[in-house]
Amino acid sequence: MNRAEILEKIGTILNSVLGHSNFELNEELTAKDADGWDSLTHMIIITEIESAFGVKFKLKDLNKLQNMGNLIDLVSGKLSEK
Amino acid sequence: MNPTENDIYLDLKEVILAHENRNAFFINGIYYTYLDFAKAISNIRFALKNNTGKIIGIITNDDLETYAAIVAIWFEGKAYVPINPDIPSDRNQNIISEAGIETIIDSSETAVFPNIKAIQSKKIEPVAIDLEPNKIPESELVYLLFTSGTTGKPKGVPISKQNLSGFTKAFWDLGYKINEDDRFLQMFELTFDLSVMSYLIPLLKGSCVYLVPKDKIKYSYIFELMEDYELTVALMVPSILHYLRPYFDEIDLPKMRYSLFCGEALPLDVTTEWSNCLPNAQITNVYGPTEDTIFCTFYDYVRNGQNKSYNGILSIGKSMNYNSTIIIDEENNVLEPGNVGQLCLGGIQLTPGYWKNPEKNKEAFFNILYNNKEERFYKTGDLCKADENGDLLYIGRIDFQTKIQGFRVELSEIEFYAKEFLSKINVVVLTLPDDVGNTEVAMVIESKPFDYKDTIDYMKEKLPYYMIPKKVKFIDTFPLNVNGKTDRKKLEILFID
Repeated sequence: MNRAEILEKIGTILNSVLGHSNFELNEELTAKDADGWDSLTHMIIITEIESAFGVKFKLKDLNKLQNMGNLIDLVSGKLSEK
Repeated sequence: MNPTENDIYLDLKEVILAHENRNAFFINGIYYTYLDFAKAISNIRFALKNNTGKIIGIITNDDLETYAAIVAIWFEGKAYVPINPDIPSDRNQNIISEAGIETIIDSSETAVFPNIKAIQSKKIEPVAIDLEPNKIPESELVYLLFTSGTTGKPKGVPISKQNLSGFTKAFWDLGYKINEDDRFLQMFELTFDLSVMSYLIPLLKGSCVYLVPKDKIKYSYIFELMEDYELTVALMVPSILHYLRPYFDEIDLPKMRYSLFCGEALPLDVTTEWSNCLPNAQITNVYGPTEDTIFCTFYDYVRNGQNKSYNGILSIGKSMNYNSTIIIDEENNVLEPGNVGQLCLGGIQLTPGYWKNPEKNKEAFFNILYNNKEERFYKTGDLCKADENGDLLYIGRIDFQTKIQGFRVELSEIEFYAKEFLSKINVVVLTLPDDVGNTEVAMVIESKPFDYKDTIDYMKEKLPYYMIPKKVKFIDTFPLNVNGKTDRKKLEILFID
């Protein structure tokens, strides 16, 4: 799966968890840019991503996330370990 | 022993001066020493000298100046009102006028309230260090916090210097051995009184305060601080544990010494799992409303032993020194242990009464003969029973007040604004457990379905984020229970998938 495909799949999850798509889906996207992306929705988003890609993150991995680009790095890293 | 024999302001002054080269704060990756803190306090104090009014507003930014403003206000003999700039402006204006605020200390680049005199704390001329506190009677106020009220008007809870001194003394009596090497978590918005414990206790011992800035994903950043900076003391709301729970197996915090929980019910099973993440820490469940200064009862979790709980919720324990707890029935009669009734609190930490609100004061406070002495008590609205040893078991709320992320919320206040926007349409606001076991706000509208985005947008203008419904359902007619009241339990079922 390439970066664009991962991004698209995460975008679908964001739309469904946040209930809107009023954000620009790109690698620079941060939680601050998307309405309703708080601690709770973050947790749900992460869980949804884990099940959609069939991966499991560590809390330490999640701490360092700054933006969507980091999240894609993390997902593709986990996918290549599989 | 007189619990207020020590002047907390003099203690603060001495600790700050004695720890000049040590770190006082860690904020967004930067350390600030006690000397930096002393300078910032002195500068703000000087700027504050020509301002009238006993009550000073502080814009709650995540920076050194905001915390320095608190101490500067105290040393000038005044009281602070925290004003969160992220909360709707209407609500803040309401607080400003209720409290009679004429001056606001604001560390923002541009003053948040252009119509009120601002001391821009990042733009003031430096002066010589001056940490000599003005002498004030113990009855003077130190802060005034506003909590959710029923009719869209926040309630003011004033806390006196005697209340706060009483809290610190009662806290030290619990046996906490805090020193200058301790590293404290401060995860609370300053409008929430648990923040006071999280900055004041460390500052009274020369420890360092590690801030969780508002714009971070809280649970993740808290773990990062605890792990990377080896925090030793942490007061948290239990909802943080629900978020961290899926990762407990990778959390190991041997340096943690004291882990305290307050603000919501603490489940025993999660506490037991958490205790394995911090093998060397004492875990304590503390309890108390803003009206009784931060917290006033405590229960130490027993490792590898029996713990007292009710419905899976850990006991809130016994009252701290200089505090009294009683449980009463509906006629204000004191109940014997084993009986369920309303928990009432009295003693040194009890607020002088709601701010300019004689009606609420009549409802919430009453006098009763206690230990052969007339004593004033506050009705918490919490249902409890005491066991034979006097440990309190928490059962639930009497009214529709609830806690969301530790913030006190009157559901009727949320309903008030929804109805205000929808005019003739009725709504009921409920709380539901969310996917991770925390509480979330849901709303049922008595109507055929319609696009409710405008309603939510309106509520966002009026209410803080944690009071905005996350889920909305429609129903033609509200079901009624046997008493002819809206059957809220039946409405909850609508949200079960």
